[in-house]
Amino acid sequence: MLSTDSFSRDSFACGRAEALRDFAFDELPAGQRREMEQHITTCGDCAIELDRLRMTTAALRILPDREIPQRIAFVSDQIFQPSVFARFLGSGARLGFASACVLAAAMVVSAWHISPVNGTSARQPVVQVAPVSASADQIQTAVASAIAKTRTEDAQMIQTAVQAAERKRDAEYRGQMVALYENFDVLRKTVNRSYVAQLGSNEGAGQ
Amino acid sequence: MIFRAVEDTDLISRVRRGDVEAYNLLVSRWEKRVFNYILRLTASPDDALDLSQDVFLKAYQNIRKLDDPARFGPWLYRIAHNEAYSLFRKRRPETALEDVAVERNPAPGFSLDLSLAVTAALDRLNPEQREAVVLKVYEGFKFDEIAEVLGCPVSTVKSRLYSALDLLKTELAPIDNKTRIRGQ
Repeated sequence: MLSTDSFSRDSFACGRAEALRDFAFDELPAGQRREMEQHITTCGDCAIELDRLRMTTAALRILPDREIPQRIAFVSDQIFQPSVFARFLGSGARLGFASACVLAAAMVVSAWHISPVNGTSARQPVVQVAPVSASADQIQTAVASAIAKTRTEDAQMIQTAVQAAERKRDAEYRGQMVALYENFDVLRKTVNRSYVAQLGSNEGAGQ
Repeated sequence: MIFRAVEDTDLISRVRRGDVEAYNLLVSRWEKRVFNYILRLTASPDDALDLSQDVFLKAYQNIRKLDDPARFGPWLYRIAHNEAYSLFRKRRPETALEDVAVERNPAPGFSLDLSLAVTAALDRLNPEQREAVVLKVYEGFKFDEIAEVLGCPVSTVKSRLYSALDLLKTELAPIDNKTRIRGQ
């Protein structure tokens, strides 16, 4: 490896080695550039050095740029999309899901908190009425069993409603994703075409 | 120089207002250059592609922090430089870029001798010199822009570049002379 210590600022008799290199890389201000152009016509060292610098950079530039193997994923691509939850909140499926939740909640509330009409529970027929001769413990057990059964039925109904809502949401989401991919593909091709066309027209104008 | 109907600065303003398509166009303009810059540092097309992806994602996330939209190029390359060095620190904390032998395609239309000589000469440079050459000769940045990318003074950039050229001139001169002789 070559260390930076070997960089010699002024190895020429004219003392313009560094300015010449700046000139070769187009880094000199306009005034100094004109002065350097005139100097090169009279200084053999600088003329030779400039020639070598230009040949060296020309040699380096023969190594071509590679084409990028695949395009960089744009911010509108899938990985930059909002999360599944965020997309769900912004989609029409949320209405169905919200409706199912409200319906399920209403069913639970009606099962537990609506007072019976005329002192008679709407669920009373479900309860197995204990014989008059049954003990207080037997009545309590029967009531507990009926309550448990009602809870189980309510839970099943809620689960069914939620599953139905989820199926509907998934179907809508899949449909939206398909449409999104198709739209994006069309958009990407359109952008690429217009970009290529723009490059072509710019190059044509440049010539 | 390619004339552009919409300048990068306009696109950046649009991106800051939430225009995703403007950023897509920016990516299209810069992706090949950034990929090749990182490829010349890492010598791995896979790493270069992954890092390029990260660079553009970070640039998008931080584009509001870009003080001067006219300096988008150096700012983007600064992110690329940091990503490349971060990768090397993770993989090889001690050797870093020292042992990278950059794989390069033979240049079509030029002698294999010259391509190999250029590749070998570049590999003889130390990482700082090589990156200075890449940014100046291949990417065409000004010294102040390279200083911004590398996070060092302009004098350091010039020192690295010119010492690299001293070596490259020596390495490439015989080959170049042979090539010229063959061409006569």
